[in-house]
Amino acid sequence: MTKDSDYISKRKFMEELGRYRKGSITRRHFLNVTGLGAATAVMGAAMPGLRPSPAFAGGNIGDRVVIATWPNYHDPSNFEAFTEATGAHVQVNVFGSNEEMLAKLQAGASGWDVYVPTNYTISTYVDEGLIEPLDTSKLSNYDASAFDARYAEAGSVDGTLYAVPKNWGSTGMAVNTAHNGGKPISSWKEFFDISRDKFSGRAMVHDYQLTTIGSALNYFGYSFNSVDEAELADAEKLLIDVKPHLFAITSDYQPSMRNGDAWLTICWSGDGKQLNTDMPEIHYVLGAEGGEIWSDYYAIPKNAPHKDAAYALINFLMDPTVNTKEVLAHGYPTADARTFALLPDDLKNDPILFPAQELLSPLEFGAAATLTDPNRAELMARFKSA
Amino acid sequence: MEIRGYIGDASPVNNKVIAELRGVSKRFGDVLAASDLNLSIVEGEFLSFLGPSGCGKTTALRMLAGFEVPTEGEVLLDGKVVNDLDAYHRPVNMVFQQYALFPHMTVAQNIGYGLRQVRPRLPKAHIAEKVSKALDVVQLNGFDDRRIWEMSGGQQQRVALARAIVNEPKLLLLDEPMAALDRKLRKEMQIELQNLQRKLGITFVLVTHDQEEALSMSDRICVMRDGRIVQIGSPQELYDQPNSRYVADFVGTSNFFDGKITDQDGTLTSVLLDNGLTMQGKPVGQLGKGQQVCVSVRPEQMKLHRQGEGLNVVVQNRIFLGEHTEYLVMHETLGEFLVLSPRQSEPDNGPFNAGDDLLVSWASDTALIFDNI
Amino acid sequence: MTQRTRNWLLLAPAGTWFLVMLIIPLSVVLIFSFGERAPAGGVVPAFTFEQYANLPARWTAFKNTMTLAPIGTLSALLIAYPLAYFLAVKVDPKWRTILLVLVIVPFWTSILIRSYAWIFLLGGRGIPALLEWFGIEGVRLINTPFAVLIGIIYGYLPLMVFPIYVSLDKLDKRLLEASSDLGAKPWRTFLQITLPLSIPGIATGCMLVFILLMGEYLIPAMLGGGKVFFVGNALVDLFLQSRNWAYGSAVAVTLVVVMLITVTIYMRLINRLGANRDDVSIM
Repeated sequence: MTKDSDYISKRKFMEELGRYRKGSITRRHFLNVTGLGAATAVMGAAMPGLRPSPAFAGGNIGDRVVIATWPNYHDPSNFEAFTEATGAHVQVNVFGSNEEMLAKLQAGASGWDVYVPTNYTISTYVDEGLIEPLDTSKLSNYDASAFDARYAEAGSVDGTLYAVPKNWGSTGMAVNTAHNGGKPISSWKEFFDISRDKFSGRAMVHDYQLTTIGSALNYFGYSFNSVDEAELADAEKLLIDVKPHLFAITSDYQPSMRNGDAWLTICWSGDGKQLNTDMPEIHYVLGAEGGEIWSDYYAIPKNAPHKDAAYALINFLMDPTVNTKEVLAHGYPTADARTFALLPDDLKNDPILFPAQELLSPLEFGAAATLTDPNRAELMARFKSA
Repeated sequence: MEIRGYIGDASPVNNKVIAELRGVSKRFGDVLAASDLNLSIVEGEFLSFLGPSGCGKTTALRMLAGFEVPTEGEVLLDGKVVNDLDAYHRPVNMVFQQYALFPHMTVAQNIGYGLRQVRPRLPKAHIAEKVSKALDVVQLNGFDDRRIWEMSGGQQQRVALARAIVNEPKLLLLDEPMAALDRKLRKEMQIELQNLQRKLGITFVLVTHDQEEALSMSDRICVMRDGRIVQIGSPQELYDQPNSRYVADFVGTSNFFDGKITDQDGTLTSVLLDNGLTMQGKPVGQLGKGQQVCVSVRPEQMKLHRQGEGLNVVVQNRIFLGEHTEYLVMHETLGEFLVLSPRQSEPDNGPFNAGDDLLVSWASDTALIFDNI
Repeated sequence: MTQRTRNWLLLAPAGTWFLVMLIIPLSVVLIFSFGERAPAGGVVPAFTFEQYANLPARWTAFKNTMTLAPIGTLSALLIAYPLAYFLAVKVDPKWRTILLVLVIVPFWTSILIRSYAWIFLLGGRGIPALLEWFGIEGVRLINTPFAVLIGIIYGYLPLMVFPIYVSLDKLDKRLLEASSDLGAKPWRTFLQITLPLSIPGIATGCMLVFILLMGEYLIPAMLGGGKVFFVGNALVDLFLQSRNWAYGSAVAVTLVVVMLITVTIYMRLINRLGANRDDVSIM
């Protein structure tokens, strides 16, 4: 299903992304070709009154809606279509981490109408009173029964629905099998052991305490989410022992994997898919001991200035045909069975995007406490400055 | 040390030539700054390069100093060709136009700078002694530890001088050293420099555009124009026997009357002026009948009187100069010119006043006739 | 309007700016630094020295900063000085403007993009591959302190070049002729005249680079592979990752204090050097 809109196909996007990561094209070219430039264009067009506002069945929702989301996480043509249908222009703010998002909302007056929090942050938003309970009557395209509960349950806190699922993914590892006799590795134990041995100077961990400390905890068979002091002490010892052998501590690991400087990294499934598509020798695997599984949600901040538009946008993106285009654009799996059904077979059967159930079962969702635990933050700082 | 006796043409008899320019030219891109300079500088003399700005005098000096390499010809010091010898190897020192004193050093440090560059190193005490003597010579005792910016213009000039002479150079080059001083101070420094030169016996080469300065200080003057040497001679020679209208004009003041040669007999030549008058004078150089020339008469050779022979003039303006009085007079066809009268030579009924109808005359052999270029 | 009112009006924009952009934020940071971390991140008001007591936990970050900042400044100076000297003294004036512009041209692109270029150059397919081609194998550049140093020199060079260039350009070139005329060979002229007289430019350049380097975080993060940890990186982590604003503020206040002390000592040294400029050879 690569019948395109005005924008380029998924395959083309991936190719262009790959070329950009390899550094063979300029950033500007990348933005132009991929239509990410259009995201800026949408923002540019967000000047009210510059375009006629077509009538919208749901009534007048205003001339704009602001969304805070992650990089390369939408199909810009969907936003265009939304504007066509409602007259509201979509303004996109891109973020690098949940922490940044939280910090911005905590500081107040973000100006966002819709944002895309990850599962483990939602209860914190509720506790801080920063998030609006959702009125499902305004979300006709949301069908709770269509969603795998695993990826939807974090959206509800104490029985109240605050967020609806967007996409999900896992955190595993990417390994360049060419340097390991064609063999992938299969566990966090192997990950940290080979990093200190054959892959010394070639392995990377995230500049992100949740996944890096979590993986180190998995090495010992502990929970990814552990905040137990003794267990964290073990993880710290391991990390500090590994550090001199690491190629880098970074969350921007694709370039080094692609140019061959690094052979092994902690990896999110979307990146794993992209790497594997361009360089089949790079395998994405889930750790046998466990690891992270995550799910992103759409939510509305309490002080959203354009709430009607926010509901309209979320509802629009929940439409299975629209959502299918989203998935084709960014390559992350969806928890919506209706959308899944519309995906091409090769995607449905992709072992990276939709791993077998038995591989997923040891994975854990990140917990709110994991993210906010001060000891884990300090551990990460000690590790980085060691 | 008296070598005043030497009045120069370029081939001295008894005196040692210390520096020489032989067919030296210097080109900067398309500009010929100096062209075929030939000059011998004699040990102990005070020589000046005189000319307007852009005449090549500074270029000549800089080639002696070693800052410029001649495009053609040879520069000799002490009989050796030094074209390729760097400035820091030449036994020559310079006093720069704005003095170029080192602002981060004291007076004493500035003066001792050259001595500190000597290798093998001179003993500190020796340097201190020489610096102290140099300060003595330029009358700046006690100023050792002063900062340069604490010194007046005249004092700075003395420091610059001391900084140069302390090295006992074979040649002391002075590039318009008095240009930044006021008139009174300049007069004082001129005398001082002259005395200093006599006392030290160092050869001085001065560059100036100020004829008065050159005339009052130099043993010999080298007048330059458009990169060429026009005339070399003692101040008196240049004044009395200029070889061209240019020198007559630049050295001292002169009145010029343009005309054409009509007759040459014996020592005097007759010139028919453009206004129909005829004048006589001594020809300078090879001049032929019918040639366009000018008659040059120094103002002090002219005499004003109420009766007798002469041209009829009206006094326009009178400037009292003490011993002399300068009159600007007007002739109906010759126009305005200057007459300089010594006070005692003025007749009983002088001095004359503006508006007086007078006669002016001069001895024909005091008038010089130059090719009119 | 009286002279006094006019003076106040003239000062108003700068004064307001100073207040809004410097005094107020600094006060906020100072107040935060005595607070405590809120459970979900951020800060709750308190009056405790706990954050300051905890400073030794960031000792390495301070140590790295206080090591690499001076080394980076010195390296930038050693490379910038000959360049500035060439531009101010040696180069044909008609090329000077173009060459000066070339020095700034890299500033027209964001440091982020330029750092990516360096990531490529220093990475396995860049310079190490070239060295391999010449038979030098196994050179690792990217994600080392050396790579960070290169990034620092590259990023801060213009800030060092310009003040030195200005001081050398202002230098009266006749002083150099005078020195040569007095028998000093070129190298001695440089040591005794050019260098001492360009000290103001050197001092300014070093100060600019040093102060900015103390707060640097992007270059170590990008070219150090996250393994070279500056105070700046510690601050980014504390504010954006672990959101411990109280502790972050304490670290920030400490950085400002360290900077003030360093700069004061530095100024004292420079002033003394200026006052003692009679000691002709400073080398």
